[in-house]
Amino acid sequence: MSLPEPIITPAGLEAPFDLSTYYPILIYSVIVIGFSVVTLFGSWLISPGKRTAVKMMPYESGMDPIGDARQRFDVKFYLIAILFLVFDVELLFLYPWAVVAYREGADALWKAEFGRLVFCEILVFFASLAVAYVYAWRKGVFAWR
Amino acid sequence: MSAIWEQYSALIVIGVVMGGVLTAVAYLVLLERWISAWMQDRIGPNRVGPMGLLQPLADGIKMFLKEDIVPEHVDRVFYFLAPGVAAATALLAIAVVPFGATVPLPAPLADLAAYNQAWQLYHQQVATDRCVIAPGIDIGFLFTFAVTSLAVYGIILGGWSSNNKYSMIGALRSSAQLISYEIPLGLAALSVVLVAGSLNLETIVGDQVAHGWNIWTQPLAFLLFLIGAFAECNRLPFDLPEAEQELVGGYHTEYSSMKFGLFFLGEYTHMITTSLMVSVLFLGGWDLPGVTGGTGWLAWGLKLAVLMAKLGFFILLYMVIRWTIPRFRFDQLMHLAWKLMIPLATANVMMVAVVREFGWSRWAMLAGSAGLVAVWAVFEVINGNRAINMPVRNKVGREPVGV
Repeated sequence: MSLPEPIITPAGLEAPFDLSTYYPILIYSVIVIGFSVVTLFGSWLISPGKRTAVKMMPYESGMDPIGDARQRFDVKFYLIAILFLVFDVELLFLYPWAVVAYREGADALWKAEFGRLVFCEILVFFASLAVAYVYAWRKGVFAWR
Repeated sequence: MSAIWEQYSALIVIGVVMGGVLTAVAYLVLLERWISAWMQDRIGPNRVGPMGLLQPLADGIKMFLKEDIVPEHVDRVFYFLAPGVAAATALLAIAVVPFGATVPLPAPLADLAAYNQAWQLYHQQVATDRCVIAPGIDIGFLFTFAVTSLAVYGIILGGWSSNNKYSMIGALRSSAQLISYEIPLGLAALSVVLVAGSLNLETIVGDQVAHGWNIWTQPLAFLLFLIGAFAECNRLPFDLPEAEQELVGGYHTEYSSMKFGLFFLGEYTHMITTSLMVSVLFLGGWDLPGVTGGTGWLAWGLKLAVLMAKLGFFILLYMVIRWTIPRFRFDQLMHLAWKLMIPLATANVMMVAVVREFGWSRWAMLAGSAGLVAVWAVFEVINGNRAINMPVRNKVGREPVGV
């Protein structure tokens, strides 16, 4: 088997990005999606279908349904969703840093020069996040009644 | 390197994983029923086949042949899409999770000869003891994290398209719960990534084989991850989305037949995936000091057995906890996620970053975890545990009890 040309990084020789490692995921996702579709339609084809008026009603514990199901709901769900976005994007920012910052074989010169600076920047990032978090707490986003 | 039509070994592993997971899910349902019967002093399923061992088969056939009711008021496209999404995302998430022996990716090397040798050895080893569908994925954990996040679509689509009040409330609760607990889950895993310096799960296992399991050095992250995993699986005590007593079936109230079966499959597959994930991230994967190690078929089987034992332990934990702890109230659920787990997880990440920045021993993280728990305990004592008690609705005076 022939190996691809390594790329030269400050840490040493590393293998280049290899798309073929992702092929099994592609194959697997096709199989999985096929499995769900076949199961859904298979049971839909085989199963008996006797439509009666009662079966077609929304299930409401035996009562006749009152009103539509799609009513207004608590605004807190929106607030939680917005706050989730803030924290999830924060996570996505932190992952690259977590991978690169302290891995073994990182460039010593670079670390000596910029390591502490990056660490301080991350602390600032956390501090700004904490401000947002305290703001949301004081505004009562987490207070469910 | 190899083309997409040459992935024969991937096809074999996919077949093994799919077959294994589907069989395991069927028998986990039986195991769950046995355990619940045992814990409630009942007998449990014992009629179909010897000791009820053919029960999953009967259940499967029944589900496949039951009438597939599509009520008139549903949004048909999303109604059909939702169970498919739920099952497909749950199954897809296992693609990068190793279930046996793993080969860590070679670290960056100084000269070309060493590079060639290391990577040739890596490819040889992957070809023989491959226990993961897609080995050598750089983004590893991030892939699983992303795909399990998609599961919330299955739930919210199912709840919305059913046009049923129970489904709607269940879906709302569930989506709020899933997105809330995803953050501490991700932050807890982040502290492991900080230590291992890679998102690749094989490398994380390799790091733990070399330096000891993460659970010993980061018990707090382990606990946070475990609780987050419970919530992500909608298992008791976090099963508010389908709280039977109040919401009938939650988001799958209107689903019958195999569509319901696919939701069920998704839930149990999630259990398997998260159990494997906890084992890989915190319990060293296949590693058991003094027992596993070396190469060859015997070592391979031993590694597989050790990881399966860890998987089984967490599955049993799921089931025992289901019948031990009562369900949370919704405000308690949100309190736990936002006021307790997210601050603790963030502080934990910062603590790990400090330990790594100053190059202290890994055991400093154990002390750090203990310190954080102590700080939290002091905070709770000062706060008088106020928020966990029933919230006061009216600050002036309470309504009389029993109104």
